[in-house]
Amino acid sequence: MTAAIGLTLRILFFIALYSFLAFAVWVIWKSVSAKDLKPGNILIPSITLAWDNGEETILQSFSSAELLVGREPECDFVLANATVSSRHARLSFHQNQWWFEDLKSTNGSYLDDLRIEEPIVLKDGDDVSCGDVIIHVTIKNNNA
Amino acid sequence: MTTPKLDTKPKEQPRYLALVILFVFFYTAALSISASIRAHTPNTVVDAGYALPFIGWLIGILACEKAVRVRLPNRDPWIFPIIASLAGWGILTIWRLSPSLGLKQLAWFLVGSVLVILGLGVRDLVPLLKRYKYIWLVLGLLLIALTFFVGVNPAGAGPKLWLHIFGIYVQPSEPLKLLMIIYLAAFFADQIRPNIPLLNAILPTLLLTGLAGLLLVGQRDLGTAALFVCIYGLMLTITTHRRRFLWLIPLAALVAGLVGYFVYDVIRVRVDIWLNPWLNPSGAGYQLIQAKIAVAAGGLTGTGPGLGSPQSVPVAVSDFIFTAIAEETGLLGIAAFMLLILLLTMRSLNIAQSAKTSFGRYLAFGLSTYIALQTFFIIGGNLGLFPLTGVTLPFVSYGGSSLVTNLLAAMLLMRVSTEKATNPLPLKSRQPYHWVAAGFLAILMVIMLASANFAFFQQEKLLNRAENPRWAVYDRYSPRGEIVSQSGEPLVTTIGSPGSYSRQTTYPPLSNTLGYAIGLYGQTGIEQSLYSVLRGYAGVDYNDLWWHELLYNQPPAGLDVKLNLSQSLQAKADQLLGDEKGAVVLLNAHTGEIYALASHPNFDANTLEDDWETMMQSEDAPLLNRTVQAEYPIGTLAAIPALSAFWSGQQDIYSPPEVSSKLDTACYQAMLGEEYNLNPLKFGCEAGTTSVLDNVDAASLVDSFYNFGLFSAPQVVMEVGTPAEMPTTEAYMSFFNTAEQTGVSPLQMALVAAAISNDGITPAPKLVNSYKSPTGEWIAYDHASTEQQAIPVQMSQALRDLFRSSSYALWYQSGHAQLENDGILTWYMGGTTSDWHGTPLAIAVAIENNNPALAQQIGTQLLTGVGNR
Repeated sequence: MTAAIGLTLRILFFIALYSFLAFAVWVIWKSVSAKDLKPGNILIPSITLAWDNGEETILQSFSSAELLVGREPECDFVLANATVSSRHARLSFHQNQWWFEDLKSTNGSYLDDLRIEEPIVLKDGDDVSCGDVIIHVTIKNNNA
Repeated sequence: MTTPKLDTKPKEQPRYLALVILFVFFYTAALSISASIRAHTPNTVVDAGYALPFIGWLIGILACEKAVRVRLPNRDPWIFPIIASLAGWGILTIWRLSPSLGLKQLAWFLVGSVLVILGLGVRDLVPLLKRYKYIWLVLGLLLIALTFFVGVNPAGAGPKLWLHIFGIYVQPSEPLKLLMIIYLAAFFADQIRPNIPLLNAILPTLLLTGLAGLLLVGQRDLGTAALFVCIYGLMLTITTHRRRFLWLIPLAALVAGLVGYFVYDVIRVRVDIWLNPWLNPSGAGYQLIQAKIAVAAGGLTGTGPGLGSPQSVPVAVSDFIFTAIAEETGLLGIAAFMLLILLLTMRSLNIAQSAKTSFGRYLAFGLSTYIALQTFFIIGGNLGLFPLTGVTLPFVSYGGSSLVTNLLAAMLLMRVSTEKATNPLPLKSRQPYHWVAAGFLAILMVIMLASANFAFFQQEKLLNRAENPRWAVYDRYSPRGEIVSQSGEPLVTTIGSPGSYSRQTTYPPLSNTLGYAIGLYGQTGIEQSLYSVLRGYAGVDYNDLWWHELLYNQPPAGLDVKLNLSQSLQAKADQLLGDEKGAVVLLNAHTGEIYALASHPNFDANTLEDDWETMMQSEDAPLLNRTVQAEYPIGTLAAIPALSAFWSGQQDIYSPPEVSSKLDTACYQAMLGEEYNLNPLKFGCEAGTTSVLDNVDAASLVDSFYNFGLFSAPQVVMEVGTPAEMPTTEAYMSFFNTAEQTGVSPLQMALVAAAISNDGITPAPKLVNSYKSPTGEWIAYDHASTEQQAIPVQMSQALRDLFRSSSYALWYQSGHAQLENDGILTWYMGGTTSDWHGTPLAIAVAIENNNPALAQQIGTQLLTGVGNR
C-alpha cells in the first residue's frame, strides 16, 4: 500500500516537473518565434559628430551603440580642449533614439543653453556644448 | 514602430512557481514515506522530518518571489522558478543524504534569500557594481590570497580553500567567480571601442584574470581556474567579436593540464583516474566507478526518491550530487534537470541580447556561461567525460558559499532582465550568441548520451560489477533464500526483520564452501555462485520481480537452495580431519553428487566481521576453500595417470611395468598404516612412480592427465582454483620432468577416483541439488557440465584390482608430495569397487602434514561408513 502511494507520488513528481518544463519551453518558443521582436533586427542609425578645434573641423561617424566623449585619448570622440572633462559624456542608442548623458562633467553640457542633467534625446542637427566646445550632431536614420 | 514586449505579464508568473512548488512537494512526500516503503511496514509511516526543509525552502522562495514581484515587475519570468526548483531539488536531496548537512544548506539558502531580497532593495545596484569594479575584484582576490595564509579544509585534509570565520566555512573562490565576471563585464563595457587598440583594451583583464588563475592554481583549485579561463575566453570572443580568442580555452586547458599533471599529485591522480578508472577500482578510481554504477542503478525512471543507495558514492552531497539525483530519478530526472539548466542558460543569453547597456549585456552573458560551464564541468567529471574538477553543481550541491553566490548571480540576472522591457541596445550580430547557445546544447546532448550509455546500454554490466554494493542493501531489506543440506537441515538462514536482515550459518565449519555475503567484504562460495537464485532474481516470476523492483527497488524474497551435502557425512569428515590442515572431498562416484567438502582450517561466517584481520593475516589461509581452490602438487598420485598412459598403447592386457621396490620414508609409513602391504605403487613410493613414468612417453602422459580432467577446472557452481596449464607440444618434455609437481585440487583427485570406481567415466560434480520455487516445489538444479569417459572400462577394472583393499570392497592409493615449504603433503584417494553393494563412492583426502595413517583412516571410515548405514 505504502509502495503504491510512493509510486503515485513519483509519477506526480515527474508530471509536475515536466509540466513546468513543457510550459516553459512552449512559452519561450512562442516568444522566440515572434521574429519581429528580435533586438538584432534594429539597425543603429549612424551618427556623425563634428567640432571645430580652432584650426579645422573634425568629423567622425560612428556605427556602435555606445560612445564616450571626452578629453582622454581612450574616448571614442576626443575633444582636445581644457574645458572638457576627461570623460565628459556618453552617447548611446536605445529605445530607437540616440541619447546624450552628461557624466557629471566639471563644466557641464548644454543643449540650447539648457544644462543637461538627465539623459536627453538627440535629434538630427542638434548642437550640444561640452564646456566651450560645440558638437554638431548629424543622424542618418537607416530604418526610415 | 511597435514597442516590443517580451514576457512582460507578471501576473502569469505565480502559475509557473505553483508547478515548481508542487514538484518539490511530491519529491518531499515521496522521500518522507521512502523508509516505510523500504522496510515494508504494514502501515504508512511518514517521516515528518522532511517537513522542515520543504517548509523552509517554501518560505524562502515565497519571500523572494514577493520581493522580486514588487521590485522587478518586468523581469524575465523564468529565472526565478527555475532557480527555485533547482534549489529545492538540491536541499531535499542533501537532506535525504544527510539531514544535518541538509539543515546547514537550508540555513544557507535562507541567508541567500535574505541577501537577494536586500540586493533587490539597493537602488542602481547594477551601475554601482560597474562603477566600483576594481574594488570588488581586489576584494575577491584578497580573500583568495588570504586562504594561502589562514586557509583551512573542513574535511581536515586536502586543498586549503576555505576561510574559517565565526564558526562557518567560506570558500572565497565562489564569490570570486561572480566578482570576476562583474569586473570583466564592466571593463569590457568601457574599453572595447573602435579607437582603443585591442591589446591595450584587454591587457588589464588578461593580467588580472591571469593573476586570479595563478592564485587558484597555487591553491590547487584547478577546476575554478579552468572555469575562469573558459569564461574569460567566451567573454572576450563575444565582446571583441573575434573568434580567435576561443583558442584560448583548449590552449589554456592543455597547458594547465600538463603543468598540473607534472606539478601536483592531486591533478595527476585525477587525470590518471579519468583516463583509466578501472585500473584501481577499490582505490583511486573508486569514486568514479561508484558514480557510474549509481547512474546505472537509476536506469530509465530511477529507483524512486529515498529508495536508492546514492551514499555508495563518496561525497555524494557536494561533488557527486548529480549521481544521487541520477540514481533516484533516473534518465527521466537527468533529462529534466539538464533541461532546467539549459532553460536557465538560454534565458540568460536572451537577457544578454536584450540588455539596455553593454555592462548588463556582458554581465548576463558572463553569468550564463558561468552557470552552464560549471554544470558541464562537474557533471562531465562525474560521468568521466572530463577529469574531475571540484566545482559545485550550481544551486544544487552542498556548499553555502556556492549557493549564496549562485542566488546572488540569479538576482543580478533578474535585475539585468528588467532592462529588456524597453528597447534594447542594438547588437552588431546575434550569431555569436547562437553559436554559444548551440555549443551549450551540444555539451548537454553529450552529457545526456553519456548518462544514457551508463543507465541503459551498459546498465547490466555496471550493476553486475563486484564494486556495486547494492546487493548488501537488498539483503538487509528483502530476505535471501536459505541454504539447506540434502536432507533439509538448514546450513545458512536469514534472521531478523526488514531493514536488519542478516545471514546466520548454522553449521560454521562449512563456511568455506557456503561462503559469506558481507557488504564490506563481498560474497564468496555458494552465496556468491548462487546469488541470483538466493537473492530472488532467478527462478521467480518475471512480473513479480519487475513490480518488486519498481515499487521497492528491491528484488523479492530469495529462493531456498538445497545442496547435495549430507550433514552427517560432512560432520564426520570435519571431525576426522580435526586440527590437521587439509581437505576431504567425498562424492557419489556414479552421479557426481558431492556429499562432503571439508576444508581445514576454516572460518566462521557468523563472526567473520570480527575475525577479518586475523583471518587475512593468518599464514594458514583459513579463507581458502582447500577442497576446490588449493593447488596441491599431485606427487606420487601421478602413478595412476602414468599407468593409464603406459596402458594406453596396449590392447586389453593390463599389467604394470617392472616397478622398483625401493622405499622412502613417507611410503614406508603409509605401508604401516591401514594394512601391512608392500605394494610400492599403492603406497606412493617415489621410486615406484618414477619406474612407471620411465616407461611412458611424454605425449601419452599429457593425454592421460588431460583425460582425467587435470588440466581443466571442474564445473562445480563455485569459484575453483586455476587448473594446471596443458603443455604445448614443445613443452612436453619439461612437463614430463615435472609431472609430479602438477597442481591439482582435492576435488579434481576425487573426480579421478570417481572415474576409476565408475568404469572409467568421470561424473559431472554436482554440489547443488535443487531450489525451491516461489510456489514451494523443489526444482532440480540444471548442471551445465556432463560426464566424460576418462579411460576404458577394462582399464578402470585393472586399476581397481591393482589398488584393491585387502579388507573392504574398496580400492585406494596413498601418496605424498613435497610442499613448497619443505613439508610433506599426504594424499589419499580411493573409491568403491564393482562388488560394493551400497552407493558407489569416491574420495580424495589431502593433509598438509606427513600423516598417512590419518588419511587412510578418513578414507576407509567415510567410504565404508556410508555403506554400513
